[in-house]
Amino acid sequence: MKFTGIERQLNILDYALHSLARRPGRHLSITFIFALVIFLVASFQMVTASLKHSADVLLKTAPEITVQKMVAGRQVMMRVGDMARVGKVFGIKEIYPRVWGYHFAARNGANYTIIGLDPARQRQLPPYLDGVKMPLAPGEAIVGLPLAKLLDLGGRRVFSLARGDLSLKSFRLAGTFPAASDILTGDLLVTNIADARDLLGMKADEITDICVSVANPAEVRTIAGKISRVMPGTRVLTRDQIRKTYQAVFSWRSGFGSICLLTALAAFFILAWDRASGLSAGERRETAILKVLGWQTTDIITLRFWEGGAVATMAFLLGVMAAWLHVTIGAAALFRPVLMGWSVLRPNLELVPVTRVSDFIIVFTFTVLPYLAATVIPAWHSATVPPDAAVR
Amino acid sequence: MHLAGGTRRPSLRYFALITAIFSAVVVLYISQTRMMTAARGREAGMRELVRILQLTDLCISTEARYTRNPAVTELTVAFQDHPDSLEHFPSGSFWTPPIMEKK
Repeated sequence: MKFTGIERQLNILDYALHSLARRPGRHLSITFIFALVIFLVASFQMVTASLKHSADVLLKTAPEITVQKMVAGRQVMMRVGDMARVGKVFGIKEIYPRVWGYHFAARNGANYTIIGLDPARQRQLPPYLDGVKMPLAPGEAIVGLPLAKLLDLGGRRVFSLARGDLSLKSFRLAGTFPAASDILTGDLLVTNIADARDLLGMKADEITDICVSVANPAEVRTIAGKISRVMPGTRVLTRDQIRKTYQAVFSWRSGFGSICLLTALAAFFILAWDRASGLSAGERRETAILKVLGWQTTDIITLRFWEGGAVATMAFLLGVMAAWLHVTIGAAALFRPVLMGWSVLRPNLELVPVTRVSDFIIVFTFTVLPYLAATVIPAWHSATVPPDAAVR
Repeated sequence: MHLAGGTRRPSLRYFALITAIFSAVVVLYISQTRMMTAARGREAGMRELVRILQLTDLCISTEARYTRNPAVTELTVAFQDHPDSLEHFPSGSFWTPPIMEKK
Protein backbone atom coordinates (compact mmCIF):
# COMPACT_ATOMS: atom_id res chain seq x y z
CA MET A 1 0.00 0.00 0.00
CA LYS A 2 1.36 3.42 -0.95
CA PHE A 3 0.36 6.38 1.19
CA THR A 4 0.25 10.02 0.21
CA GLY A 5 2.40 12.52 2.11
CA ILE A 6 -0.28 13.62 4.59
CA GLU A 7 -1.64 10.12 5.06
CA ARG A 8 1.87 8.87 5.75
CA GLN A 9 2.43 11.60 8.38
CA LEU A 10 -0.93 10.84 10.01
CA ASN A 11 -0.03 7.15 10.19
CA ILE A 12 3.28 7.95 11.83
CA LEU A 13 1.52 10.34 14.24
CA ASP A 14 -1.00 7.60 15.06
CA TYR A 15 1.86 5.27 15.85
CA ALA A 16 3.63 8.00 17.86
CA LEU A 17 0.52 8.62 19.97
CA HIS A 18 0.13 4.88 20.57
CA SER A 19 3.77 4.82 21.57
CA LEU A 20 3.23 7.70 24.04
CA ALA A 21 0.13 5.99 25.44
CA ARG A 22 2.16 2.88 26.22
CA ARG A 23 4.14 4.90 28.82
CA PRO A 24 1.51 7.36 30.10
CA GLY A 25 3.16 8.12 33.45
CA ARG A 26 6.45 9.10 31.91
CA HIS A 27 5.02 11.27 29.15
CA LEU A 28 2.38 12.93 31.30
CA SER A 29 5.04 13.89 33.84
CA ILE A 30 7.25 15.33 31.07
CA THR A 31 4.28 17.26 29.66
CA PHE A 32 3.47 18.62 33.12
CA ILE A 33 7.06 19.71 33.82
CA PHE A 34 7.39 21.22 30.36
CA ALA A 35 4.08 23.09 30.76
CA LEU A 36 5.30 24.38 34.13
CA VAL A 37 8.53 25.73 32.61
CA ILE A 38 6.60 27.40 29.76
CA PHE A 39 4.14 28.80 32.32
CA LEU A 40 7.01 30.43 34.25
CA VAL A 41 8.69 31.85 31.15
CA ALA A 42 5.42 33.13 29.67
CA SER A 43 4.24 34.57 33.02
CA PHE A 44 7.49 36.48 33.42
CA GLN A 45 7.23 37.77 29.86
CA MET A 46 3.61 38.87 30.38
CA VAL A 47 4.18 40.53 33.78
CA THR A 48 7.19 42.51 32.58
CA ALA A 49 5.44 43.46 29.32
CA SER A 50 2.46 44.75 31.30
CA LEU A 51 4.60 46.77 33.72
CA LYS A 52 6.70 48.20 30.89
CA HIS A 53 3.51 49.18 29.07
CA SER A 54 2.12 50.90 32.20
CA ALA A 55 5.35 52.85 32.69
CA ASP A 56 5.46 53.81 29.04
CA VAL A 57 1.92 55.15 28.78
CA LEU A 58 1.57 56.68 32.26
CA LEU A 59 4.93 58.44 32.49
CA LYS A 60 4.41 60.33 29.24
CA THR A 61 3.56 63.37 31.38
CA ALA A 62 6.43 62.99 33.87
CA PRO A 63 8.61 66.11 34.26
CA GLU A 64 10.56 66.80 31.06
CA ILE A 65 13.77 67.46 33.00
CA THR A 66 14.51 66.70 36.66
CA VAL A 67 17.58 68.23 38.32
CA GLN A 68 18.97 66.64 41.49
CA LYS A 69 21.96 67.76 43.52
CA MET A 70 24.44 64.99 44.28
CA VAL A 71 27.12 64.93 46.99
CA ALA A 72 29.32 61.84 47.46
CA GLY A 73 27.01 59.85 45.20
CA ARG A 74 23.89 60.64 47.19
CA GLN A 75 21.06 63.03 46.55
CA VAL A 76 21.00 66.05 48.86
CA MET A 77 18.58 68.93 49.27
CA MET A 78 18.69 71.92 46.97
CA ARG A 79 17.84 75.56 47.78
CA VAL A 80 15.09 77.67 46.28
CA GLY A 81 17.87 79.97 45.04
CA ASP A 82 19.19 77.16 42.79
CA MET A 83 16.14 77.65 40.56
CA ALA A 84 17.46 81.04 39.49
CA ARG A 85 20.69 79.42 38.26
CA VAL A 86 18.73 76.90 36.20
CA GLY A 87 16.59 79.74 34.85
CA LYS A 88 19.63 81.27 33.12
CA VAL A 89 19.47 78.54 30.48
CA PHE A 90 17.73 79.75 27.32
CA GLY A 91 14.73 77.76 26.07
CA ILE A 92 13.11 76.91 29.42
CA LYS A 93 9.34 77.42 29.64
CA GLU A 94 8.76 76.79 33.33
CA ILE A 95 10.76 75.86 36.42
CA TYR A 96 9.07 74.43 39.48
CA PRO A 97 10.41 72.95 42.70
CA ARG A 98 9.49 69.58 44.14
CA VAL A 99 9.30 68.99 47.87
CA TRP A 100 9.09 65.30 48.59
CA GLY A 101 10.72 62.57 50.58
CA TYR A 102 10.30 59.26 52.35
CA HIS A 103 8.83 58.70 55.78
CA PHE A 104 9.48 55.46 57.63
CA ALA A 105 6.67 54.66 60.04
CA ALA A 106 8.22 52.68 62.88
CA ARG A 107 4.73 51.80 64.11
CA ASN A 108 4.00 49.52 61.16
CA GLY A 109 7.34 49.29 59.35
CA ALA A 110 6.01 50.92 56.16
CA ASN A 111 7.64 53.54 53.96
CA TYR A 112 5.39 56.42 52.91
CA THR A 113 6.18 58.90 50.16
CA ILE A 114 5.41 62.46 51.26
CA ILE A 115 4.72 65.07 48.58
CA GLY A 116 4.30 68.78 49.20
CA LEU A 117 2.08 70.37 46.58
CA ASP A 118 1.50 74.08 45.94
CA PRO A 119 -2.12 75.40 45.99
CA ALA A 120 -2.20 75.97 42.21
CA ARG A 121 -1.56 72.28 41.53
CA GLN A 122 -3.88 71.20 44.34
CA ARG A 123 -6.75 73.02 42.58
CA GLN A 124 -6.20 70.84 39.52
CA LEU A 125 -6.75 67.64 41.54
CA PRO A 126 -10.52 67.63 42.27
CA PRO A 127 -11.69 65.70 39.18
CA TYR A 128 -10.02 62.63 40.71
CA LEU A 129 -11.13 63.20 44.30
CA ASP A 130 -14.76 63.21 45.33
CA GLY A 131 -15.79 65.79 47.91
CA VAL A 132 -12.34 67.12 48.75
CA LYS A 133 -12.23 70.89 49.09
CA MET A 134 -9.17 72.46 47.46
CA PRO A 135 -6.74 73.92 48.24
CA LEU A 136 -5.89 71.91 51.33
CA ALA A 137 -6.02 73.70 54.67
CA PRO A 138 -2.87 73.61 56.82
CA GLY A 139 -2.43 70.13 58.28
CA GLU A 140 -4.72 68.43 55.75
CA ALA A 141 -3.57 65.52 53.59
CA ILE A 142 -4.77 63.27 50.79
CA VAL A 143 -3.44 59.71 50.90
CA GLY A 144 -3.38 56.66 48.67
CA LEU A 145 -5.99 54.00 49.40
CA PRO A 146 -3.54 51.29 50.63
CA LEU A 147 -1.97 53.87 52.95
CA ALA A 148 -5.40 54.88 54.27
CA LYS A 149 -6.16 51.21 54.99
CA LEU A 150 -2.81 50.76 56.72
CA LEU A 151 -3.43 53.79 58.95
CA ASP A 152 -6.58 51.99 60.09
CA LEU A 153 -8.33 55.17 61.17
CA GLY A 154 -11.77 53.65 61.56
CA GLY A 155 -14.13 56.63 61.71
CA ARG A 156 -11.40 59.09 62.73
CA ARG A 157 -10.04 61.75 60.38
CA VAL A 158 -6.98 62.80 62.38
CA PHE A 159 -3.71 60.89 62.56
CA SER A 160 -0.14 61.65 63.59
CA LEU A 161 3.23 60.85 62.08
CA ALA A 162 6.56 61.11 63.87
CA ARG A 163 9.08 63.72 62.74
CA GLY A 164 12.78 62.92 62.69
CA ASP A 165 13.13 64.16 66.29
CA LEU A 166 10.25 61.82 67.29
CA SER A 167 7.84 64.70 68.00
CA LEU A 168 4.40 64.14 66.47
CA LYS A 169 2.96 65.97 63.50
CA SER A 170 -0.83 65.79 63.17
CA PHE A 171 -2.69 65.54 59.89
CA ARG A 172 -6.36 65.61 59.03
CA LEU A 173 -7.42 63.18 56.32
CA ALA A 174 -9.07 65.25 53.57
CA GLY A 175 -9.61 62.38 51.16
CA THR A 176 -8.09 59.38 49.40
CA PHE A 177 -6.95 58.74 45.87
CA PRO A 178 -9.09 56.26 43.91
CA ALA A 179 -8.14 52.58 43.91
CA ALA A 180 -7.58 52.66 40.14
CA SER A 181 -4.58 54.97 40.63
CA ASP A 182 -2.84 52.69 43.16
CA ILE A 183 0.01 52.05 40.75
CA LEU A 184 0.81 55.79 41.05
CA THR A 185 -0.51 56.85 44.42
CA GLY A 186 -0.51 53.72 46.61
CA ASP A 187 1.96 55.03 49.20
CA LEU A 188 1.49 58.78 48.71
CA LEU A 189 0.64 61.35 51.34
CA VAL A 190 0.03 64.65 49.55
CA THR A 191 -0.09 67.78 51.68
CA ASN A 192 0.89 71.45 51.64
CA ILE A 193 4.53 72.29 51.01
CA ALA A 194 4.99 73.76 54.50
CA ASP A 195 3.52 70.65 56.16
CA ALA A 196 5.67 68.35 54.02
CA ARG A 197 8.81 70.31 54.96
CA ASP A 198 7.79 70.20 58.62
CA LEU A 199 7.34 66.41 58.61
CA LEU A 200 10.46 65.70 56.55
CA GLY A 201 12.66 68.02 58.63
CA MET A 202 13.49 70.36 55.72
CA LYS A 203 14.33 74.03 56.16
CA ALA A 204 12.01 76.72 54.77
CA ASP A 205 14.12 77.34 51.65
CA GLU A 206 14.98 73.71 50.95
CA ILE A 207 13.58 71.73 48.04
CA THR A 208 14.18 68.12 47.03
CA ASP A 209 14.76 68.70 43.34
CA ILE A 210 13.87 70.98 40.45
CA CYS A 211 11.62 70.13 37.49
CA VAL A 212 11.94 71.95 34.20
CA SER A 213 9.50 72.31 31.35
CA VAL A 214 10.99 73.11 27.94
CA ALA A 215 9.49 75.36 25.26
CA ASN A 216 10.57 73.15 22.35
CA PRO A 217 10.38 69.40 23.13
CA ALA A 218 13.01 68.72 20.45
CA GLU A 219 15.57 70.61 22.57
CA VAL A 220 15.14 68.66 25.82
CA ARG A 221 18.50 66.90 25.58
CA THR A 222 20.33 70.07 24.59
CA ILE A 223 18.84 72.02 27.48
CA ALA A 224 19.54 69.14 29.89
CA GLY A 225 23.19 69.30 28.81
CA LYS A 226 23.28 73.07 29.34
CA ILE A 227 21.77 72.71 32.84
CA SER A 228 24.42 70.19 33.84
CA ARG A 229 27.10 72.67 32.69
CA VAL A 230 25.50 75.59 34.53
CA MET A 231 25.06 73.49 37.69
CA PRO A 232 28.01 71.14 38.07
CA GLY A 233 27.49 68.42 40.69
CA THR A 234 23.91 67.81 39.68
CA ARG A 235 22.25 64.85 38.02
CA VAL A 236 19.99 65.89 35.17
CA LEU A 237 17.35 63.36 34.11
CA THR A 238 15.16 63.66 31.06
CA ARG A 239 11.70 62.15 30.68
CA ASP A 240 13.05 59.82 27.99
CA GLN A 241 15.67 58.51 30.39
CA ILE A 242 13.01 57.87 33.03
CA ARG A 243 10.90 55.91 30.57
CA LYS A 244 13.91 54.00 29.25
CA THR A 245 14.81 53.06 32.82
CA TYR A 246 11.57 51.14 33.13
CA GLN A 247 12.15 49.37 29.83
CA ALA A 248 15.53 48.23 31.16
CA VAL A 249 14.45 47.52 34.74
CA PHE A 250 11.96 44.84 33.75
CA SER A 251 14.12 43.14 31.18
CA TRP A 252 15.40 39.58 30.97
CA ARG A 253 18.59 40.91 32.56
CA SER A 254 16.81 41.56 35.84
CA GLY A 255 18.48 39.32 38.38
CA PHE A 256 15.64 37.25 39.70
CA GLY A 257 13.92 36.81 36.37
CA SER A 258 16.91 35.60 34.43
CA ILE A 259 18.43 33.43 37.14
CA CYS A 260 15.19 31.76 38.16
CA LEU A 261 13.83 31.15 34.68
CA LEU A 262 17.10 30.21 33.01
CA THR A 263 17.83 27.77 35.83
CA ALA A 264 14.41 26.17 35.33
CA LEU A 265 14.99 25.97 31.59
CA ALA A 266 18.48 24.52 31.98
CA ALA A 267 17.18 21.90 34.42
CA PHE A 268 14.43 20.93 32.02
CA PHE A 269 16.70 20.62 28.98
CA ILE A 270 19.18 18.52 30.94
CA LEU A 271 16.26 16.25 31.85
CA ALA A 272 15.01 16.15 28.27
CA TRP A 273 18.45 15.42 26.87
CA ASP A 274 19.15 12.77 29.49
CA ARG A 275 15.89 10.92 28.90
CA ALA A 276 16.08 11.22 25.13
CA SER A 277 19.73 10.29 24.73
CA GLY A 278 19.61 7.43 27.18
CA LEU A 279 17.11 5.43 25.16
CA SER A 280 15.95 2.35 27.04
CA ALA A 281 16.66 -1.15 25.81
CA GLY A 282 12.98 -1.49 24.88
CA GLU A 283 13.08 1.67 22.77
CA ARG A 284 16.28 0.56 21.02
CA ARG A 285 14.65 -2.82 20.30
CA GLU A 286 11.56 -1.05 18.99
CA THR A 287 13.73 1.01 16.64
CA ALA A 288 15.50 -2.13 15.43
CA ILE A 289 12.23 -4.00 14.83
CA LEU A 290 10.79 -1.06 12.91
CA LYS A 291 13.88 -0.98 10.73
CA VAL A 292 13.64 -4.73 10.14
CA LEU A 293 10.00 -4.19 9.14
CA GLY A 294 11.11 -1.71 6.51
CA TRP A 295 11.01 1.66 8.26
CA GLN A 296 13.67 4.03 6.98
CA THR A 297 15.90 6.16 9.22
CA THR A 298 13.89 9.23 8.17
CA ASP A 299 10.65 7.48 9.23
CA ILE A 300 12.06 6.84 12.71
CA ILE A 301 13.28 10.43 13.03
CA THR A 302 9.82 11.58 11.92
CA LEU A 303 8.28 9.28 14.53
CA ARG A 304 10.43 10.76 17.32
CA PHE A 305 9.70 14.25 16.01
CA TRP A 306 5.97 13.65 16.24
CA GLU A 307 6.34 12.16 19.73
CA GLY A 308 8.28 15.23 20.90
CA GLY A 309 6.02 17.57 18.95
CA ALA A 310 2.85 16.13 20.48
CA VAL A 311 4.23 16.57 24.00
CA ALA A 312 5.68 20.03 23.30
CA THR A 313 2.59 21.43 21.57
CA MET A 314 0.28 20.30 24.35
CA ALA A 315 2.67 21.65 27.02
CA PHE A 316 3.09 24.97 25.18
CA LEU A 317 -0.63 25.64 24.84
CA LEU A 318 -1.39 24.62 28.44
CA GLY A 319 1.55 26.64 29.77
CA VAL A 320 0.63 29.79 27.83
CA MET A 321 -3.02 29.55 28.83
CA ALA A 322 -2.14 29.06 32.51
CA ALA A 323 0.28 32.01 32.34
CA TRP A 324 -2.37 34.29 30.88
CA LEU A 325 -4.83 33.34 33.63
CA HIS A 326 -2.10 33.73 36.27
CA VAL A 327 -1.26 37.27 35.16
CA THR A 328 -4.75 38.62 34.50
CA ILE A 329 -7.06 36.83 36.91
CA GLY A 330 -4.42 35.84 39.49
CA ALA A 331 -2.64 39.26 39.31
CA ALA A 332 0.72 37.44 39.02
CA ALA A 333 0.28 35.99 42.51
CA LEU A 334 3.41 33.83 42.21
CA PHE A 335 5.70 36.76 41.36
CA ARG A 336 4.22 39.35 43.70
CA PRO A 337 6.12 38.19 46.81
CA VAL A 338 9.42 38.80 45.02
CA LEU A 339 8.31 41.83 43.01
CA MET A 340 7.16 43.63 46.16
CA GLY A 341 9.63 42.03 48.55
CA TRP A 342 9.28 43.18 52.13
CA SER A 343 7.07 46.12 51.22
CA VAL A 344 4.50 46.69 53.96
CA LEU A 345 2.46 48.96 51.69
CA ARG A 346 1.38 46.86 48.75
CA PRO A 347 -0.49 48.71 46.03
CA ASN A 348 -3.16 46.79 44.20
CA LEU A 349 -1.64 46.12 40.78
CA GLU A 350 -4.17 45.65 38.01
CA LEU A 351 -2.02 44.09 35.32
CA VAL A 352 -3.33 44.69 31.82
CA PRO A 353 -2.23 41.93 29.45
CA VAL A 354 -0.41 43.47 26.52
CA THR A 355 1.04 40.27 25.12
CA ARG A 356 1.79 40.36 21.40
CA VAL A 357 2.01 37.43 19.01
CA SER A 358 5.78 38.03 18.89
CA ASP A 359 5.96 37.32 22.65
CA PHE A 360 4.39 33.90 22.07
CA ILE A 361 6.86 33.25 19.26
CA ILE A 362 9.77 34.15 21.56
CA VAL A 363 8.54 31.77 24.26
CA PHE A 364 7.96 29.06 21.64
CA THR A 365 11.45 29.53 20.21
CA PHE A 366 13.15 29.38 23.60
CA THR A 367 11.26 26.33 24.83
CA VAL A 368 9.74 24.10 22.15
CA LEU A 369 12.44 24.20 19.48
CA PRO A 370 15.30 23.21 21.83
CA TYR A 371 13.13 20.40 23.18
CA LEU A 372 12.46 19.03 19.70
CA ALA A 373 16.19 19.20 18.95
CA ALA A 374 16.92 17.43 22.23
CA THR A 375 14.65 14.51 21.30
CA VAL A 376 15.20 14.20 17.55
CA ILE A 377 19.01 14.31 17.45
CA PRO A 378 19.51 11.32 19.82
CA ALA A 379 16.80 9.47 17.86
CA TRP A 380 18.81 10.03 14.68
CA HIS A 381 21.88 8.58 16.39
CA SER A 382 20.00 5.45 17.48
CA ALA A 383 18.23 5.06 14.12
CA THR A 384 21.51 4.92 12.22
CA VAL A 385 22.66 1.87 14.22
CA PRO A 386 22.28 -1.39 12.18
CA PRO A 387 19.11 -3.24 13.30
CA ASP A 388 20.90 -6.53 14.00
CA ALA A 389 23.32 -4.75 16.36
CA ALA A 390 20.43 -3.05 18.17
CA VAL A 391 18.49 -6.30 18.60
CA ARG A 392 21.53 -8.11 19.96
CA MET B 1 -2.62 -1.23 15.52
CA HIS B 2 -5.08 1.12 13.84
CA LEU B 3 -3.30 2.78 10.95
CA ALA B 4 -5.88 4.10 8.55
CA GLY B 5 -9.29 5.79 8.36
CA GLY B 6 -12.10 6.20 10.86
CA THR B 7 -12.94 8.84 13.46
CA ARG B 8 -11.19 6.82 16.15
CA ARG B 9 -7.81 7.66 14.74
CA PRO B 10 -5.63 8.96 17.61
CA SER B 11 -4.13 11.62 15.34
CA LEU B 12 -7.52 13.15 14.55
CA ARG B 13 -8.58 13.06 18.20
CA TYR B 14 -5.27 14.67 19.11
CA PHE B 15 -5.79 17.44 16.53
CA ALA B 16 -9.31 18.01 17.86
CA LEU B 17 -7.95 18.39 21.39
CA ILE B 18 -5.15 20.73 20.29
CA THR B 19 -7.64 22.80 18.27
CA ALA B 20 -9.92 23.12 21.31
CA ILE B 21 -7.07 24.31 23.56
CA PHE B 22 -5.72 26.60 20.84
CA SER B 23 -9.21 28.12 20.44
CA ALA B 24 -9.31 28.79 24.19
CA VAL B 25 -5.93 30.56 23.95
CA VAL B 26 -7.19 32.63 21.01
CA VAL B 27 -10.35 33.59 22.94
CA LEU B 28 -8.21 34.71 25.89
CA TYR B 29 -5.98 36.66 23.54
CA ILE B 30 -8.97 38.41 21.95
CA SER B 31 -10.44 39.24 25.37
CA GLN B 32 -7.18 41.04 26.06
CA THR B 33 -8.28 43.72 23.57
CA ARG B 34 -11.39 44.42 25.64
CA MET B 35 -9.32 44.72 28.82
CA MET B 36 -6.87 47.04 27.06
CA THR B 37 -9.71 49.28 25.89
CA ALA B 38 -11.01 49.57 29.45
CA ALA B 39 -7.49 50.35 30.70
CA ARG B 40 -7.00 52.94 27.96
CA GLY B 41 -10.08 54.78 29.24
CA ARG B 42 -8.40 55.23 32.63
CA GLU B 43 -4.98 56.16 31.28
CA ALA B 44 -5.79 59.78 30.36
CA GLY B 45 -6.83 60.58 33.94
CA MET B 46 -3.80 58.76 35.32
CA ARG B 47 -1.44 60.73 33.05
CA GLU B 48 -3.05 63.94 34.30
CA LEU B 49 -2.36 62.78 37.85
CA VAL B 50 1.30 62.19 36.94
CA ARG B 51 1.49 65.72 35.51
CA ILE B 52 -0.14 67.43 38.50
CA LEU B 53 1.80 65.51 41.15
CA GLN B 54 5.03 65.68 39.05
CA LEU B 55 5.60 61.96 39.49
CA THR B 56 8.61 60.23 37.96
CA ASP B 57 7.91 56.63 38.99
CA LEU B 58 5.32 53.92 39.39
CA CYS B 59 4.41 52.74 42.88
CA ILE B 60 5.11 49.00 42.73
CA SER B 61 7.57 48.09 45.48
CA THR B 62 7.81 50.35 48.56
CA GLU B 63 10.43 48.43 50.51
CA ALA B 64 13.47 50.52 49.49
CA ARG B 65 13.82 53.94 47.95
CA TYR B 66 15.64 52.60 44.92
CA THR B 67 12.83 50.17 44.13
CA ARG B 68 10.13 52.78 44.90
CA ASN B 69 11.72 55.37 42.63
CA PRO B 70 14.22 53.56 40.39
CA ALA B 71 14.29 56.36 37.82
CA VAL B 72 15.54 59.06 40.20
CA THR B 73 17.61 57.03 42.60
CA GLU B 74 21.36 57.12 43.10
CA LEU B 75 23.51 55.22 40.63
CA THR B 76 25.33 53.36 43.41
CA VAL B 77 22.18 51.67 44.69
CA ALA B 78 23.63 48.21 45.15
CA PHE B 79 26.33 49.60 47.41
CA GLN B 80 24.44 52.54 48.83
CA ASP B 81 25.18 51.91 52.48
CA HIS B 82 28.77 50.76 52.23
CA PRO B 83 31.11 49.68 49.42
CA ASP B 84 31.00 46.12 50.77
CA SER B 85 27.24 45.93 51.26
CA LEU B 86 25.36 43.50 49.07
CA GLU B 87 21.82 43.76 47.85
CA HIS B 88 19.50 42.35 50.47
CA PHE B 89 15.99 43.52 49.60
CA PRO B 90 14.08 40.74 47.79
CA SER B 91 12.60 43.04 45.17
CA GLY B 92 16.07 44.41 44.43
CA SER B 93 16.81 41.12 42.69
CA PHE B 94 13.87 41.69 40.35
CA TRP B 95 15.05 45.11 39.21
CA THR B 96 18.12 45.96 37.19
CA PRO B 97 20.10 49.08 38.14
CA PRO B 98 19.05 52.33 36.44
CA ILE B 99 20.68 53.01 33.10
CA MET B 100 22.92 55.91 32.19
CA GLU B 101 22.50 57.35 28.74
CA LYS B 102 25.76 57.53 26.81
CA LYS B 103 26.74 61.08 26.07
